[in-house]
Amino acid sequence: MHSDDVKDIVREAYGAIDSSTEAVAYKLYSPEEIAGVPRSAIERALGVGNHLAFADIERGETILDLGCGGGIDSILAAQRTGPGGRVIALDFLPEMLERTAAAADEVGPDNVQTLEAEMEAIPLPEASIDHVISNGVINLSPRKRRVLAECARVLRPGGKLSVADLTVGDEELPPEILTHPATWAG
Amino acid sequence: MAGALTERDFVEKLEKAGFGDIEVHLRKQVSVDDLALYPLFTDEIIELMRTLISSDRLEAVATSVIVTAKRRAGHLSP
Repeated sequence: MHSDDVKDIVREAYGAIDSSTEAVAYKLYSPEEIAGVPRSAIERALGVGNHLAFADIERGETILDLGCGGGIDSILAAQRTGPGGRVIALDFLPEMLERTAAAADEVGPDNVQTLEAEMEAIPLPEASIDHVISNGVINLSPRKRRVLAECARVLRPGGKLSVADLTVGDEELPPEILTHPATWAG
Repeated sequence: MAGALTERDFVEKLEKAGFGDIEVHLRKQVSVDDLALYPLFTDEIIELMRTLISSDRLEAVATSVIVTAKRRAGHLSP
């Protein structure tokens, strides 16, 4: 499948979500984490793990959330880096960025900024980020090598990457499933 | 999910991109029932999975992994 086709499928599938995914949030995050996040972000949790449980986020870090979606991880990361740090919430879907911005405004602190961009071409300077976080997004890219190279470029030397993502085994799924648009978006 | 890598390939790509200290902290099997929580997986594809995937694989169609790494100094992939 062509790169642009995959992006179109992802764009359409994520834009069409009209039901709550709070069950995902309650499955992945602790009650304490959920208590500090607005409902709008909880209802668009689309991650595949809680990478923040393993992410060594320090106060004052500049964090890039690659594919922020509804903003749950951006907000949790913003709370941990504190007012001396900031989170850049990147997504290529404007509706997700609007949701993230609204959720961040609701809960504060005022250290989340949104960035409309593709993860294969991050419009940030070299070595400008302390920590890249990403949840269930890299597997959606048809150009994963490029995505990881961009992560390395924007991170300072010694900068951290904390990722939750889907992997598959060596045995492939049936072709009818692998070629279905829903499995390219999810 | 259709574009997901094996864990081995993912780690290899991280190394080539310039990351070191790569640690896989958690591996969790993802079942078809887990995927059904996400609206991205329509009823149609969930039903197709239940029909076409052997019963012994329905509990583990993918694996969710949590990986941390650090950017090595002085190495960037072209």
